[in-house]
Amino acid sequence: MVSSRGQMKIQQMIFMIVAVTLLFILVGVFFLSINLSSLKKSSVNLAEENSMILVSKLANSPEFSCGNAFGSSRTNCIDFDKVISLKDRAEYSDFWGVAKIEIRKIYPNEGDKLCTSKTYPDCGVLKILDKNVKILPYSSNFISLCRKETDGKIIYDKCELAMLLIASQDKTQ
Amino acid sequence: MKNKKGALEISFGWLFAIIAGVVIIFIAIYISSRLIGTQQTSISAQTGKQIGILLDPLETGFESAQTTSIIIPSETRINNICDSSGAFGKQIINLEQKSFNKWVKTDVNVGFQNKYIFSEGQTEGKKFYVFSKPFSFPFKIADLMYITSSDKTYCFADAPSEINTEISELNQSNLIVSNCAANDIKICFGKENCDINVDFSSNSVEKNGTIVYFAGDDRTLMYAAIFSNKTIYECQIKRLMSRVGELSSLYSSKELLINGKGCQNDLGSNLGEFSGLVNSLKKSSELEIIKMEADSISEKNNAGVCQLW
Repeated sequence: MVSSRGQMKIQQMIFMIVAVTLLFILVGVFFLSINLSSLKKSSVNLAEENSMILVSKLANSPEFSCGNAFGSSRTNCIDFDKVISLKDRAEYSDFWGVAKIEIRKIYPNEGDKLCTSKTYPDCGVLKILDKNVKILPYSSNFISLCRKETDGKIIYDKCELAMLLIASQDKTQ
Repeated sequence: MKNKKGALEISFGWLFAIIAGVVIIFIAIYISSRLIGTQQTSISAQTGKQIGILLDPLETGFESAQTTSIIIPSETRINNICDSSGAFGKQIINLEQKSFNKWVKTDVNVGFQNKYIFSEGQTEGKKFYVFSKPFSFPFKIADLMYITSSDKTYCFADAPSEINTEISELNQSNLIVSNCAANDIKICFGKENCDINVDFSSNSVEKNGTIVYFAGDDRTLMYAAIFSNKTIYECQIKRLMSRVGELSSLYSSKELLINGKGCQNDLGSNLGEFSGLVNSLKKSSELEIIKMEADSISEKNNAGVCQLW
């Protein structure tokens, strides 16, 4: 009688310990999932913040900016003759830490015609970087897209209205 | 039973509960300490990334120099790591933060290919100043960032008037031009026996017994040499020269394109040679030779029908 009561107590204890351990594990998993989701959120926020700040400054970076090539220094001016050579340069694939960089002409509107060495300068979209990955929403900035043009007699500067678009990679999935 | 003196009477249930309790508490403590560690690593990684992002607005555009400050809630060590491998090399930031009065090291390195930070290998404090200046060689290459801790004051003693003016206009409280205190880091120009000695005759900076060389009239690399150590300076110079090489190749392609429109500069071959020269740079003492080539390219660009940059 005494021994079976003792066995009963041990069984109760084991069940109790298993239950308490399971409770701890559940609480731990719950806490970890909250922690992970906030980590993912801050990673997304940082990536979005990065592309937002970058888009406002990228047009003035050496690879893009007009410099003094079109007279005096201009802000938010992109040298079309220069960036067309930047397209698909493998060295620059991780340089800015974003997944997509493209320039879309707004006025005059040339539609979605992609810019290549053959279609340049009569094209609407110049994809400078396209990593083919899942991306976060685009950040954009208005810019003037300038190039040298000639009518056969004189060389002149031609500037068009365009938009610079940047998107970071969505690393949450 | 009562006669057995000193014997501890514990039932099996109690013994089992005590052992199981100890195991559970031990596991709980182990898991929480691991979680705290992960949390600290995550905070360091986030702060590192945030510092990098905060440096973006310091890309000066057309301004000559600007300064800003970064305040981090806890005592922090910014480890500046420079890696010159690859096409552009990498600027790596690694943070250590103080927790319960102990420095917590993390293995998380946040890397940027488009940033050039000049500082000591380790900068410690809660408030950091970032001073940035554009670097052109001969075309604009990048904005260089100089990070200093507010705990350290740099005193530019008897500096040439243009440096005096530039430092004063920055209004950065840890950069002063007069009334140097004994514990300030003293920077002398043309004199010896200071913490940092700048010699304009050889375009060199002597610091902690090591000498590095700078080039250029805009003093951008001179400040870089002052605020960083030799290892970081030499590595960043290599990274900058790699970017000069890539930009030269970009301008070379642009030249070919606009040649067809009647814009002849004949800079293609010069840019090709220049690119080869910058990519072969091994140490800062070779900068002066490259600077001469850069000046000649700049002159040719300014005299051309269309300017490339």
